[in-house]
Parts: sequence; structure tokens; C-alpha cells
Amino acid sequence: MIRAAHAAGPILRAHSELRRVAIRRQLQAVAAGKSTGVPSDAVESRYGAARTVEEITAGLREDSLPVQLLQVAFKNSLVADGVIERLQGKSIHERLGAARLVAALRMYEATPWLVPLLAAKDPSVADASARALGRIGGAASATALLHAIRRRGLNRRLIAELARGAPDLFLESALAHPPRPALRPALAIAAGLRRRRTAITPLLALLQRGSRKERVITCRALGWIGATTAVPVIEAALDDRDWKIRMSAAKALGALRAGSSRPALERLYTDPNPKVRRAAHQAVRRLTHGA
Amino acid sequence: MVSRLSALERAPVFFSFQESTLRALARRIRRVTVPAGEMVVYQGEPGDTIFFIERGRCRVVIEKPPGAVTVAVLAEGDFFGDAACLLNRPQQASVYAQTDCSLLALDRQSAHTVLAGREPGAIEELQKLADQRFHSFADTSVQATWGMLLEEATVVGVYSPKGGSGGTCVSLNLVGALARRHPGEVLLLDLDFPYSHSALLAGLVPSSCLARTASVPQEPFEEVLLSAILVHSGGPMILPGALRPEEADEVTPELVTRAIAVLRKTFRYIVVDLGVTITDATLALFDLTQHVVLVTVPELSSVKSSADALDILVQLGTPPDRLTVVLNNRTERPAVSKPAVERALKREVDIEIAFDGNRPEQAAVDGQILSLTNPRSEMARGSETLAALLIGKHSRRVT
Repeated sequence: MIRAAHAAGPILRAHSELRRVAIRRQLQAVAAGKSTGVPSDAVESRYGAARTVEEITAGLREDSLPVQLLQVAFKNSLVADGVIERLQGKSIHERLGAARLVAALRMYEATPWLVPLLAAKDPSVADASARALGRIGGAASATALLHAIRRRGLNRRLIAELARGAPDLFLESALAHPPRPALRPALAIAAGLRRRRTAITPLLALLQRGSRKERVITCRALGWIGATTAVPVIEAALDDRDWKIRMSAAKALGALRAGSSRPALERLYTDPNPKVRRAAHQAVRRLTHGA
Repeated sequence: MVSRLSALERAPVFFSFQESTLRALARRIRRVTVPAGEMVVYQGEPGDTIFFIERGRCRVVIEKPPGAVTVAVLAEGDFFGDAACLLNRPQQASVYAQTDCSLLALDRQSAHTVLAGREPGAIEELQKLADQRFHSFADTSVQATWGMLLEEATVVGVYSPKGGSGGTCVSLNLVGALARRHPGEVLLLDLDFPYSHSALLAGLVPSSCLARTASVPQEPFEEVLLSAILVHSGGPMILPGALRPEEADEVTPELVTRAIAVLRKTFRYIVVDLGVTITDATLALFDLTQHVVLVTVPELSSVKSSADALDILVQLGTPPDRLTVVLNNRTERPAVSKPAVERALKREVDIEIAFDGNRPEQAAVDGQILSLTNPRSEMARGSETLAALLIGKHSRRVT
């Protein structure tokens, strides 16, 4: 009995591998427009459909043909329903695989099922859910990510996905009227990562009136955006009493390649804080060499 | 919810949708308030949201270095951002809130989620419409640069931030100097509100004005507008902005843009007397000008106002080489010296008009333009220099 089971193991593995390869080929055929059906067992995590779809859709926009063909095939074959059901599954692998698949397919319809997963105990499921919401985007996803940040604090994954998924003017209006003041630093980072010029004005307001932490983050965010209009305000922050603000302002001016700020940065060569001095040297080096 | 629904119902793009669909859209729509002057979308950036204007006005600006041109002013019920949202194209133009605005934002995901299930084919229809609007905007964008492409009129704005600086006098004499070289091809558009008196100062009696063309339909607009222009015997032409102070409100940014589009095809130079106050119409005109002349007098308050105005002009994107500062000496011994003025303005004075006695006042009483009647006067000399500078910078056609 034990020997029989032992012998069946490799056969099952081989069978599983064959099926995985078959599903992979089928999904590639769908993306290429050569087929329209998706097998019903494609949702099973052991067949790696999520990985295959991720590979096919990597770097593609949601309106690209392969993504759209896959979306339609999953919906018409009713496999999409199975994927969404699996988001509520008991096994971590099921939920993880389904979240990855939903993200790769940019399935808007899955948003309400993804939101509760942000609070999952397993960090990989919560991360996969955040990633999926970021890729799907839209106001609903961004609001859910913002709520998750409120619960979990400044989480890198959540902030990165908020930056990716937030619709136009979402971060800007949230920065101006945040649901909770504690969210401002996260919003400022997300606005910086998103690099939209519409965020410059609310960030400048935050730089002038925000708390120490907010001002440190806002300087960097303005640097990432490339807000050259903010140079005078950031330059003024070089004289701040707080060393972190001075360091952040120096880094931002380096990122902005603000040549006019060179004398102000050189003044920081004698700053009492070594980190500020180092940031000033690096910034001037960036101005000189554009590194 | 009710107000959002009614805003969606007003949008022509959703006329054919069922009420249940509109309700579902209204539930997902975000209300965004944008203060006046703020940027809503930036040209060239990606976008994923259609914005409906619930309240306020927005200015659509196409930035074509070295300048920027306002191609449309959108009001309640209008929408923008559709091409970026539905066709995944970069934003075609920047949009700024002209007044405090309340916008309704419908993001791509919400639109797809609601419409995919309820209105089959709606997304395709919206994409088709967005494509049409994209191309019509592209045409407008080309028209915006017609001045350069088809050798249309150069628009010169004359702005004096303080009353009594002689802005109108400089405008009138500049028009005279330009008209001596190009008779019948130079127009003075007087937007010095609330009292536009250029025509009277030139000895002309106006019977119509720009404000009175506001309600004229598109088809006869050109004819009505051109018939409101007064012809001076010396060559220049004058179009008063308003004949009565209360008519000034009729001169909206849309009217100014519409009028300039017509006038640019007819004239070689359009000099606009922008007066003292910066209104929405003035702002729209700053976008349409190829050159701005700032007139100041050597008095403390005037110099301070001019320094502030220069900052504003720079913020509005006026390139330094398209900006000329004229120092008009209205007294024999000015209280502030020219170097002091330059220090305060942080730039050189380009043209200085020496004290001209009571000649400008006398010319106004006589209804004469000094640059046409007395070329040896200081005002005429200054205007000649200014005209030569403008022709040097903006001459395109060889006659």
C-alpha cells in the first residue's frame, strides 16, 4: 500500500507538470488571439496560471490587446468567477494565487473582494491584495489602500500601491483635506512617487505648514516630482533648525539639479550634523556631474 | 448624490444612458474642489479620470514653448480628460481652474465597472466620442499657432499696473507708430475698463464696441465685430472694449479669445490696452499675446506695483525676451531715478520716454496721436523705438 502510494507520487507530479504546461500554452494562445477558451482548472494554484498571466502581461497596459483578450476569455469561460471565489478561499495559496491573477488581469470587478484581504493575517496575502488593488487602481482601490495605511501605518507596499492606483487628483485632494492628519506623510510620499505636477501646490502648502516629519517627506517628494518652482521654498528649508529637514532639502535640491542653489548647499559643508554635510556634498556632486 | 446625479444628467455625453446607470455612476463619482488658479491636469501627463464641471470655469491651455495659448474656457456641464481616461493618451492640454471649481471625477475603473455590465457598447461609444474630441482639440491646437504658421497678427499687450502711468497714451502712440509703417493693418483693442477712452483720445466717436458683440451668434460674429472698428485717418484702427462701465462685464475670456481669433486674420499688429486691473479677460489675453509691454512711471507706488506685476507675468509664463519695460517720465524731475527703478524691478528698463511737457495732454484734448502728428515729441520718439523693437522681434512678412 505504502509502496503503491510512493510510486504514484512521481506520476502525479508528472501529470501535474504536464497539465501546467498545457494551461500555460493555452493562456499564451489566448493572449496571442489564437484561442478563446480558458480551462476551468486554470484557477488551481498548483498549475501556476497566475505566474503565466503575470509573465504575459508584464509591462503591458490594461488596454493592450493581450490583456483584453485574456480578460474576455476568463470572463466568457466563467473562470473569472472561480478566481473571485478563491479570493475568499481558506487556503493561503488559493487566496494568494487568485489575488495575483486578478492583479495581472486588472479585474475591476474583484475590488470588493480584495479589500478585506488587506487586513489578512498572512503578510503575503495582504501584500498580494495591495498589489492587486494598486494595479487595478481607481477611487475604490485607493480609498481601501488609504484605510489600510491608517490601520497599518507607513507601510512601503501600501504607499507604493496607493501611488500606482490613485486616480487623478485623489492624492491632491486628500493632501488638502486628509481624512486623518496622520495620513499626510503617507499621502506626501505617494504623491511624490506618482510624480504628477498637480501635486506640487498641496505639497508646497504642506512644506510650509506641516509638522517636522511631514516637511522632511515633502522635501523629498518635491524632489522626486522635479518641481523646479519649489526650489526657493526648499532652499529656505536648508536653514531650518531641524537637521532632518536640512538633509532632506539638500537631497531634494540635488534631485532637482537646482544649479542656483549651489552656494546655499555649499554653506552646509560646515553644518554641525555629519549627515547633512554628506547630503550637501552629494547634492553638489549631482549638480556638477548630473549623477 | 442628488446633485451629482443631476450634474451627470446635464452632461450630453450621458444623454442616452438609463437612469439606473446614471445613479450607479453618481454613486462612484468623487467631488473634487479646486481653488482658482490651480492646475487640474497637466499637458503630456497620463490621466485616468474624466472631470465634469459642476460649478465654476476652467481654462484649457495648450503649452507650445515659448508661450501658452488658451484654446477653450469650459463652464458648468462641460467635461475634460476623456481622451486620457478612455483612450490612454497623454493629456492633450493643461487645464487650470479659472474660478473656484467643483468638479465631479469619474475614474476609468468606475466607468468600466458600471458601464461594462449595464450599457453594452457604451465604452466603445465614449471612446469614439473621446477620439472625435481629441482630434477637434488637435485642430484647435494647430489654430492656436496660426499666428506663427500663417503669419497672422502679432498681439501686443500694453499693461500699466498703476493708473495714470500713461498706458493708454503709450498704446495709442505705439499704434500710430506701427500704422505709419503699415497703414490699415494695425488695431488698438481697448480693454482698459471700466472707462475705455482710447477712441475719444484719438478724436473718434465710437458707436459700438466689443462688449456689444457678446450675444452675436457665430456666423455673423466676424462681420459685426469688424463693423465695430473705428478707422483713424492716420492709419490705425481702434476697437473699444466697452462704451459704458457696466458693459465691461460682458467682455468675458471666451469673447476675447473669440474676437482675437477673428482679428488676427485681419490685422498685422493688434495692440491691446490692458488697463490697470487684472481680470479674467486680461488673463485670457495674456495667454494670447506674443509680447507684453509694461508701462511704469518713476514713482514709488508705480515701481512697487510694476515689480509685483513682473512677478505675475513671469508666473504666467511670459518669456523675458517677450517682455518690454517702458519708463514713462511724466514729470520733469522724477522722484525715483532710473537706476533705482531698475534695482526695484530687478531688470533693465528697455525704453525710457523723456518728459514731454504738456504735449500728451494737449494732444488728447485735440484728439491727435503724437506719433502721427508730431514725430519730434518725446512720446512719439519713445513709441517709434518701441515699434521698431516690436517689428524687429516679431516681423515675419516681408512687404
